[in-house]
Amino acid sequence: MKPSVEQISNLLSQRSNLRPEEDYWQDFLREFHHNQRMEAAAKSAPSAFVEPLRSWFSEVSPSKWAYGAGLAYATAAIAFFLVPRGVEINTMPSTPVNHQVVPAHSLEQLDPSSEGYAGEQVF
Amino acid sequence: MFRQSRPPDPYQDLVSRAKDGDTRAFDALILKYGDKLFGLVYSMTSHKEDTHDLLQEIFAKAYQSLPKFQGKSTFYTWIYQIATNRTLNFLKKRKNRATSSINEMEEAIHQNPALIDTTNDANPERQSSINELQIKLNEALMKLSESHRMVVTLFDIQGLSHKEIAQVLNSSEGTIRSRLHYAHLQLQSALQETWEERF
Repeated sequence: MKPSVEQISNLLSQRSNLRPEEDYWQDFLREFHHNQRMEAAAKSAPSAFVEPLRSWFSEVSPSKWAYGAGLAYATAAIAFFLVPRGVEINTMPSTPVNHQVVPAHSLEQLDPSSEGYAGEQVF
Repeated sequence: MFRQSRPPDPYQDLVSRAKDGDTRAFDALILKYGDKLFGLVYSMTSHKEDTHDLLQEIFAKAYQSLPKFQGKSTFYTWIYQIATNRTLNFLKKRKNRATSSINEMEEAIHQNPALIDTTNDANPERQSSINELQIKLNEALMKLSESHRMVVTLFDIQGLSHKEIAQVLNSSEGTIRSRLHYAHLQLQSALQETWEERF
């Protein structure tokens, strides 16, 4: 013989009085307040700026993510077609430099009387 | 046990004050709903430490989300929604600890005076039978799926009506009745042998 549904319900309803120990809620509240303070302290750190953004993104529904992704794709596509391609870069013409190398034998023929004011040789 | 609809919000004043940042009012709400939610979570987890951690999470979530609570449902329904969501998510992650949980619930059954029959005709033999039934019942409960166990807990242990359970679990009343019917059949079968031996 099976117990009836009422008898099952009566057995189950006896559990409605399951409660924690007497001091449980005092300790619970103490821990709860401690956790809240820790969380508030963590939020006051630099992450306080990031947290609202994180929260906002976490609340964005999947459909909005799809819209956002579509919008980003469209922006990238527009940018791709609007930016001109094949533009030549005009550079300034360079000035030719005249390099004259003094032959070694001419150095031997320096005239000491032709010294400049600062003592350098004048060629 | 109550099955009729609850009054709109018996602690509306506390809810309003808590929304305005009054932490003492929120503490009072924890004390008002704590025992009920403890019973709900403990019946689902059969584990004291898990119940404690979950209750901390549930009330922290409620405290953070309170500014967003618009009063479209009662605070009672709202906090039960948080509690059931958190508990069901937790149970999905913790399937392999069910065996040790049953042992802990057995201990609670033996120690809890609420589960001891105090009627005049109570005798040690009868009490032993009830204890054994409670243990078998708990084993059977733990074998139910989380969604069926949740419906049985809310209806038979917490005393919520079908309509209230449907609101809390965001489901239809028909689904709730169907789950409850199936769960009762499972529990009846699980207790059949012990019932025949003892009664």
